[in-house]
Amino acid sequence: MLYSDLKGRKLVDTTSADTVGKVDGFLLDPATRSVVALEFKKTDHGSVVAWSDLIAVGADAVTVGGVSVVVEPDDRLADLATKDGTVLKKRVLSDAGEDLGSVHDIDLDPESGALLELIVGEKKHRVSIAGSRLLGVGSYAVVVAHE
Amino acid sequence: MRTSEIATLPVVTLAGDDVAQVKDVVFSADGGAVAGFTLAGRGLLAGPLKQGLSWHHVVGLGPDAVMIADDSALEPVDTVIAAASSTSAGAGSGGNVLGDRVLTDTGSDLGKVSDVVIEYDNADGGPCDVVGYEIEASDALKASTSKGSKHTRLLLPLPDTLAVSSEHVMVPASAEGFVSDDLAGFGAAVQAFRTQLKGGS
Repeated sequence: MLYSDLKGRKLVDTTSADTVGKVDGFLLDPATRSVVALEFKKTDHGSVVAWSDLIAVGADAVTVGGVSVVVEPDDRLADLATKDGTVLKKRVLSDAGEDLGSVHDIDLDPESGALLELIVGEKKHRVSIAGSRLLGVGSYAVVVAHE
Repeated sequence: MRTSEIATLPVVTLAGDDVAQVKDVVFSADGGAVAGFTLAGRGLLAGPLKQGLSWHHVVGLGPDAVMIADDSALEPVDTVIAAASSTSAGAGSGGNVLGDRVLTDTGSDLGKVSDVVIEYDNADGGPCDVVGYEIEASDALKASTSKGSKHTRLLLPLPDTLAVSSEHVMVPASAEGFVSDDLAGFGAAVQAFRTQLKGGS
C-alpha cells in the first residue's frame, strides 16, 4: 500500500464508531525498516498511534479500539517525528556516495507496517528501491545500500 | 574521477547525517594514492575542523558524497597527515603536486599539474590509486600531439610509483605517448601504459 493512498484516510474508534482523526504522516524506524506509528491530525488529544495499537489499516479507514491509544509521541517517536527522521522528499544517497533522487512515496505492508519499497525520483525517472536496502535516515539524507 | 570534484563533497554517515565536508585531499607522500581528507564544517561560513578522515575509513566515494560508517571514522587531522607522510620511505613533499612541473626522465617539460585523476573500487575496500594528472600542456607537448592544438588541458597516465618533489614530478618519457584528452577512455590508457612499463620496454 502506498503512503500517498493512506494519507488523509480517517481514523475510526470502533467502540464509539466516531471518526477521531485523519492520517497525516508516518514514523519510519530505519533500524527495523518499518513504520512504527502513524501521525494523525484533527484529533481531540494526542497526535500519534503506535502501529501495534492499530486494529486495522483498511482500504477506507484506519481503526483503533478506543481513543486512549491516540497519544503524544514518547521520546523515541518524537525523535523520528523531527525533520531529521522524516523520509518524504528527502534526498537518497547510496553507500557508494551517489545521489539517487528524493523520496516521492513509500510502499508499506498494511499488516506489519514493514517498508516494502522507497519510491524515488522525479516523475520521468521514478525508481523503486527495496526497503531491505535502507541503511539510515538522517539530517542530510536517506542512505541505501548500492546494488 | 578528478580530485577537484571531491572538494566540498559532504561527508555523510550511513545513518544519513552530514558530519562534515571535504576541504582538501591528502595524498600519500609518494603521490601514488589518496591517503585521506582534511575536513571543514558544513555550510559556507563553517571553518576547518580539527578532525580528518583517512581513506581506509571511507565506505564509499561517489559523485555526490563521501560515505562513512559513523562519527568514529573521524580522527585528529594530524594523525591523518602523519599517516600519509609515513606511507613511503621516499622523501615526499606531502604529496601536494598541484602546480608542479611534469618532467620526463629524459628531461623534457610536459606541463603543469592542474588536477589529479584517481581510481578506486567501492566494493573491495582497496586503496584510492592516483592514476594520472591533468596537466596544462607545455608548448613542447602541444607541438608534439595533434590533440594539443585544440586542448591545452591533457590527461597524463602515471606509473604505479613516481618521484615527487615540491617542484617536479618525474615520469617516464614513454608516458608522453599515452596522453589523452578523454577521461572516459583514460582508464584504458593507464592500463596500457602500466602494462608497457612492466613489459620492460
